[in-house]
Amino acid sequence: MSLWQSVAVVTAAALPAPFAVAATYLTTDGAQRALFPEAQSFDDLKLAPSAAQQRSILEAAGLQAPHGALRAWTARRAAAVVGYVFVDEVVGRQDFITYAVGIDSAGKLRPVEILEYRESHGGEIRNKRWLQQFNGRGDLGQLRFRTDIKNIAGATLSSEHVTAGVRRILVLWETLVKPGAALAAGR
Amino acid sequence: MMTFTSAPGGPRALTLLAGLVLAAVFAQPAPAATADEVEARLNALSAQVAELQAELAELKAQQQVAAATPATENASASDTVFTAGAAPSKQVEWFGYGELNYSRPNSNSANTTADVGRFVLGASYRFDEKTRFVSELEIEHAVSSAADPGEVAVEQAYIERRLGDSIYTKMGLFLIPVGMLNENHEPTRYYGVFRNFVDTAIIPTTWREGGFAVRGDTSGGLRWDVGISTGFDLSKWDATVGAGLEKPLGSIHQELARARANDLSSFGALNYTGVPGLRLGASVFTGEASQGQPGFGNNRITLWEGHARWNPGNWDLSALYARGHISNTRPINLKLLGNPTLIPESFFGGYAEAAYRATLPNAWTLAPFARYERFNTASGYASLGAGLTPDPLDDETVLAAGANLEIAPGVVVKLDYLRFDRDAGNDRFDLGVGYQF
Repeated sequence: MSLWQSVAVVTAAALPAPFAVAATYLTTDGAQRALFPEAQSFDDLKLAPSAAQQRSILEAAGLQAPHGALRAWTARRAAAVVGYVFVDEVVGRQDFITYAVGIDSAGKLRPVEILEYRESHGGEIRNKRWLQQFNGRGDLGQLRFRTDIKNIAGATLSSEHVTAGVRRILVLWETLVKPGAALAAGR
Repeated sequence: MMTFTSAPGGPRALTLLAGLVLAAVFAQPAPAATADEVEARLNALSAQVAELQAELAELKAQQQVAAATPATENASASDTVFTAGAAPSKQVEWFGYGELNYSRPNSNSANTTADVGRFVLGASYRFDEKTRFVSELEIEHAVSSAADPGEVAVEQAYIERRLGDSIYTKMGLFLIPVGMLNENHEPTRYYGVFRNFVDTAIIPTTWREGGFAVRGDTSGGLRWDVGISTGFDLSKWDATVGAGLEKPLGSIHQELARARANDLSSFGALNYTGVPGLRLGASVFTGEASQGQPGFGNNRITLWEGHARWNPGNWDLSALYARGHISNTRPINLKLLGNPTLIPESFFGGYAEAAYRATLPNAWTLAPFARYERFNTASGYASLGAGLTPDPLDDETVLAAGANLEIAPGVVVKLDYLRFDRDAGNDRFDLGVGYQF
């Protein structure tokens, strides 16, 4: 195959690209609305676990890949709390994945949303059916990697690290936010 | 996303500055103005210019801060809840993997070896939100010198640029998206001490080429890859030694080491992971391999494969089949007649593997596995005429059984036993340790 034939083949194959590019990824606002379409407002939720609480949360959640910033909001409809939104960053293979987790007022997870996936390897994690696996789970015993949340062959690290990250958020919620939980300073 | 709220002052200040400079250049001093008056005006202008410069510098600093702010448009400040284990957004990332092994042939213990099979360090660097550099530097067999068996290789070195959400382009030296092992070749990612035969003898893992590639993912779970790259150089075939019969493509790959690039190859791959726990995929790589060398011509090399992986519960089941073809070998082989290793026209291999991942009470993972492989590195030759055409090799069948023990995420201790059907003298026991971080 000549160089120009090769270029033509690749160009032809890459042509559908603009359509995929047009499907813009979720913003933080978009993720909040996707997780809780019924909510009218999302208020900043300040969480400040003590050092002891941080240790116990990490112990319960299990091994974690390096995390970046974690932010949280309370989703409200009028005055009523409908749920909580967490936006977290965790390392996939080499780079951060930004993902959003919704926990409703009954403590059940909504499907995880991927806001941004920055490296080409492991991008399969965007698959809606994989993210849907989290929906309705509300207990660490239902969030075991490979057993409850299936592995993605070829994106093992990304799928494992996000699963571990969701576990950490769920325990954080149980420790600090869940009704009856010890109130965090500054909440 | 960079906001522009702090920016309007920038252009305005620039306009003012330009106006002042123009005014200073073109303004004709009033005829009656004395030298003192001109000097006073100039001093006033200089002071204004200095003031504006300071203002500009401040605006630039503000813009840099805005640009460095995490890519979230929400007004709330980024907040890190956890102090333990929290990592700042980073640019340079170091990583690595390696494997050390011990291999003891059953019938010839004098050939027992122990080796640092691989020692790999990698670094990636992020230039901006969309542009990264990824590299891997590998040392095989511990020591590389004229008197030692080792080799040093740049295994990957490419620039990756993201277009939109889920389209990525790569330029440079990168891994070919073939099979399941080539792009995930770290020892923690496969069962057994050594990589399987199909993925080394038929697919020349770790297979990389230099070129340009595009990858996309759909939310439905389909990943596609296309690209053009360097390819094989059939003039590297050495008919005097047996390497070509061990790894036909591995003996003529170029690894972007002053690669002949007269002829380029192209490749494409599709992988479907839309059903959690399942992966189905196929790929093809094809290109001319004569590279304009005298005596070679129309030597297209094509390798295609299909693969499947399924994880029901703790089971890890996979299968792969690969087949390669080299065209127009007849005229070359006629010139090579009398040598021990002529160029085959076809070669193939396939395997099926089952592993069970059991979590031990101490959180280690023990994964016993078994693998059946059948392959042939010279299953057919182009006809050279009666009595001259080499006989194809018999298929080799290898049965492997063993276990991976993961004692920490990224650390695996392995052992296995391999039984060879055709060359029973190769039966062996292997022990190894591998890591990835």
